[in-house]
Amino acid sequence: MSINFKQIEDKLKTEARKLLEEGKVSIVLAYGKGYDEKKPMPYVVRKTSDIENIVFNEYCTANMARYLVRYPRGTKIAIAVKPADSRAVVQLIQEEKVKREDLIVLGIPVYGMKNFKTGETIDSKTTCGIYNPVLYDILLGEEVHGQPVVSPYDVLVDYEKMDKDGRWTFWKKELDRCIRCYACRKACPMCYCDPCFIDQNKPKWGEKSPESQGNLMYHLTRFHHLAGRCIDCGECSRACPVDIPLYLFHKKVAKECEEMFGQAAGMKIEDKPALVNFRVEDSDKILE
Amino acid sequence: MLKKTAIQKISDLAAELLAKGTLIAPVKESAGFNFREISDSGQVDFSFYNTLMSPKSAFFPQTEDFVRYDKNKSVLDAQCVDLNLKPIFLFGVRPCDVKSFEIMDIHFSGTGAVDPYWKKRREATTIFGYAFDLKTPADSADFYSTLNIGAADPEGSDIFMMKKGDGLLLKAITPKGENLLSSLGSLTEASADEIKYFDDTVAAGRSFKTRFTCVDDKVIAKKLEDLFHKTEFWEKISDACLSCGACTFVCPTCYCFDICDETLFAAGVRRRVWDSCMFTDFTMEASGHNPRTKVYQRLRQKICHKYSFHIRKYGVISCVGCGRCTRSCPVNIDIFSIVDQALKE
Repeated sequence: MSINFKQIEDKLKTEARKLLEEGKVSIVLAYGKGYDEKKPMPYVVRKTSDIENIVFNEYCTANMARYLVRYPRGTKIAIAVKPADSRAVVQLIQEEKVKREDLIVLGIPVYGMKNFKTGETIDSKTTCGIYNPVLYDILLGEEVHGQPVVSPYDVLVDYEKMDKDGRWTFWKKELDRCIRCYACRKACPMCYCDPCFIDQNKPKWGEKSPESQGNLMYHLTRFHHLAGRCIDCGECSRACPVDIPLYLFHKKVAKECEEMFGQAAGMKIEDKPALVNFRVEDSDKILE
Repeated sequence: MLKKTAIQKISDLAAELLAKGTLIAPVKESAGFNFREISDSGQVDFSFYNTLMSPKSAFFPQTEDFVRYDKNKSVLDAQCVDLNLKPIFLFGVRPCDVKSFEIMDIHFSGTGAVDPYWKKRREATTIFGYAFDLKTPADSADFYSTLNIGAADPEGSDIFMMKKGDGLLLKAITPKGENLLSSLGSLTEASADEIKYFDDTVAAGRSFKTRFTCVDDKVIAKKLEDLFHKTEFWEKISDACLSCGACTFVCPTCYCFDICDETLFAAGVRRRVWDSCMFTDFTMEASGHNPRTKVYQRLRQKICHKYSFHIRKYGVISCVGCGRCTRSCPVNIDIFSIVDQALKE
């Protein structure tokens, strides 16, 4: 079985039209035409006349959940989500940034999505490797079954072989390349702080210039702010104009978090974020 | 003066330039090519289309130190940072990027206040322009021909280079280039055929098409000015924008910077660091008021600055159509598509 992108696109159009016409939502967060067929863009549908511009293909990797916090609370929004994106929606609901009742979630079961810059398949490599959305009101397409189950942490094999010093050298080298455009935090659905700690100057947490000291401060802090919250969509790594493999750190932290607290981020609305919640039986490994 | 060498012998040329000064040329890195200072003549690689970051950093590095200070001393110890430059050779700059230096000169030396750092670097540098290959189609993000820049325009370069088969032709454009070219022993004289080929390619480059059709600068400027207050248009086009700074940092004509003091244990440096109009805190005022809190206000500023205010003020579009912003955008926003949409409004 392969994914019928055209069918999903048609269903997305039909549902968007229905929801707008019935007045159930005021905007639909979906994907639209870019300057090239292989370069689709995040697209906000406001009027029924916008619907013809909707597209959905294997290059629609953007996580639309990132845009949810941009609209005033109470705005009725329909959002198209792929499996990882649905986890972001769940996580945002857990963190009370959006309300479940304000959302209509259009779930897209999908695999074989491709990075539009490199053309490589992202499934479990830079993304969480789940094929069906964990939360949806309307499913666009059929649930995916029978695909090989690949752990999203398999890509960590080489990374985990490195010892402590090796990892330090690795990250120093990678993060030294950072140009501080902040595309990673801006593409991240969980990075909604206003202002971000790195933009503050009283106190000043990190330097602005793209050199080791400030870069490490920015990235290591961001990595830790996302501990137990990163839903592994991989958008940070894809957004990076200099291709820093940020997903490796996020996956590693997510893996440890899952092992310690027995839950992955954004899987169930009833969960509380692992590092916010306290349970007596919680692992003490973090203190060792 | 037209000279030639073989592409395979490019490292000989690089070695000669290295002996004379600093060589900055495209180097392959994990994410793509970038202009870097060359330490080994074998590093020069001519298989690039264009670099990820623009060559502006050769004159306007992302961080530039002005003053170093140490507050630990009883009398404050502060010293201006002086630039002691060897001759710089900026090698393999595409014609659209060469054009960007002319636009940047307006801001750093053309309007009265002269930036000494920019000026010193600019004067020390010999620019080796490098024509696009007319046989391969332009990248789908490029639009330099829309802005009347040819794919093989030698203007602005000191020496202009182009490929011919396995060979590389080099022509001196300015007296500075002429002096340098005549002193390079690894080059040989070009034949009459090759002189003709050079001139033909320059002419053919002018009709080489990228995307879109040419439009009048003044028309764009006026249209954007008229649209300025049409909020729904700007909201619509900025729906996808993440408001990160990727486009401005890779841009050859974005010149905004911030000056900050970076101090560690009382010793530190006052330096200039690139800033971006796409950042929320770019317009933050000391009072706490921020005139551009919304994404659409920031994107509108960026586009109107490049295609409207800049034409009004300096008579030239502040964009060279290199396509870097479009290629680097995490959500595929294409700046000229927005201008195109504005013209259709």
